[in-house]
Amino acid sequence: MLKVDHLTKRYGDTLAVDDLHFDVNPGVVTGFLGPNGSGKSTTMRVILGLDHPTKGRATINGVAYHDLKEPLREVGALLDAKAVHPGRTARNHLRALAASNKIKRSRVDDVLEFVGISSVANKKVGGFSLGMSQRLGIAGALLGDPGVLLFDEPVNGLDPEGIRWIRDFFRSLANEGRTVFVSSHLMSEMAVTADQIIVIGRGKFITQGSVDDLTANANGTVLVRTSDNAKLTSIIKSLNGTVRQEHDDELTVGLLTSDEIGQAAFGAGITVLELTPQRASLEDVFMELTAGAVEFGGGQIEAMRHE
Amino acid sequence: MSVAKSEWIKFRTVRSTIVGVFIFVFLTLGLGVLITWLIRSHWATMPIGQQLTFDPVSSSLGGTVFAEFAVGVIGALFISSEYTSGAIRTTLAAVPNRVRLILAKLFVLVVSMIIISEIVVVSTFLIGMRIFSGVVPTDSLGNGAVLRAVLLSGVYLTLLALFSFALGIILRQSIASISVFVSLLLIVPLLGFFFPQSWQNHFQKFEPINLGGSMMSVTTKPLNFAPWSAFAVLVIYVAFLLVLGMTMFSRRDA
Repeated sequence: MLKVDHLTKRYGDTLAVDDLHFDVNPGVVTGFLGPNGSGKSTTMRVILGLDHPTKGRATINGVAYHDLKEPLREVGALLDAKAVHPGRTARNHLRALAASNKIKRSRVDDVLEFVGISSVANKKVGGFSLGMSQRLGIAGALLGDPGVLLFDEPVNGLDPEGIRWIRDFFRSLANEGRTVFVSSHLMSEMAVTADQIIVIGRGKFITQGSVDDLTANANGTVLVRTSDNAKLTSIIKSLNGTVRQEHDDELTVGLLTSDEIGQAAFGAGITVLELTPQRASLEDVFMELTAGAVEFGGGQIEAMRHE
Repeated sequence: MSVAKSEWIKFRTVRSTIVGVFIFVFLTLGLGVLITWLIRSHWATMPIGQQLTFDPVSSSLGGTVFAEFAVGVIGALFISSEYTSGAIRTTLAAVPNRVRLILAKLFVLVVSMIIISEIVVVSTFLIGMRIFSGVVPTDSLGNGAVLRAVLLSGVYLTLLALFSFALGIILRQSIASISVFVSLLLIVPLLGFFFPQSWQNHFQKFEPINLGGSMMSVTTKPLNFAPWSAFAVLVIYVAFLLVLGMTMFSRRDA
């Protein structure tokens, strides 16, 4: 089990991770979701002992990473697929890793075979595509047959077939009872990959739960088409609802039910052409939760759309 | 020992090490042959004063002055290339104990460089004596002072590799580390010329190149350290840089 215990990491004036506190349990795929720059990679680096925490700590089965004698046998991690010497061959890279943790040499060929890059094992890593590098990184993570696995943005650079492969792979790792912790900024990816999701923004914990939990608690929206959208918009605003113009003649209304909207339209003599309640997707929930927590948001575009 | 084994695999499986060692051997041996052959062919016309103070050991090992830079590149890249490529994060994830990692790297560097250096300098010396024989006075390894000078040449080159390795830990950048290494060896001595002669007389002996000169000569030049004192001073330099590098390495985020 992986435990992040009131972790804070500050780089100079920047507070990258702010009192993060959560557990990652075995047997399920746990997604670590947050916008770019929200502190996901920093958290992973601290878990792996690469960066020193400012406060708090992270432990694997109760032990700090730094104190693990042969860490590759307990934790496998893929942080940055390109973090290998470009002049070394894939096989030699893995052989060196294996030797450092007293892992049998035959295991190198096994993992190369498993991720499907045996044919380029004796080629220099510098010539690898991002997808091949990702596979090499996964091979490295699996080398010690660890119980805890960490992947930082693993689908980046993978083709659709690779994405499907890695999704099934995470699932099978979890089914074997391993702890699988996968970060991503893509909520749609997490919705299909993860069982449990931890959401952070600007280094802070936002929420945690299953995909169903997260969407169930969120407010849905209502799609409305009427004879007089402008008039209805002002009525909805007076009722403290939110309105977003999706297309020329469609409004997406939030914080009000379809009943309330229908009543209001009838009261004002507006003809309702369409009134469709919409269940929140994980994407909507994510947007709502991390609003204001986006480091580099498209503020300008949002502002234009509201006019 | 497992970490040392891993570092040994890493050390020998990149081209920079292979090319560096090749250039090192080529410069020491190749220039050694060229220099000794030139001395042999000009011996008859050499002024008698030079003939009397002639040192067969440092003359035959003249190529090491250039080989120093190849050795520096090997040492610096052994750690700096991990930072340049980002591989240091993969390395530290496998070996989180940073002191253990640096000690393993040091072990691999010391053992491989001392073996290579000693083989190269001893063979260069022996070949040089072969070229000299019959014309130029020669010396043999049976002479204690000669043996010391030849063997300390290999030690000097190994210490330079450690020197640049320590710079690599501190600076974390290949080009910066090699630049600083070259500057300390070549540029700092040049700066000395801006100071009065009496100052130069005091400080020149502390320059790494002059320390090396003392270590690999049979006769000690005036104003320079005696061979073993020169060795001790260079060891202090290297130890200081390594301790500084190790401290920074342990505290820093990777």
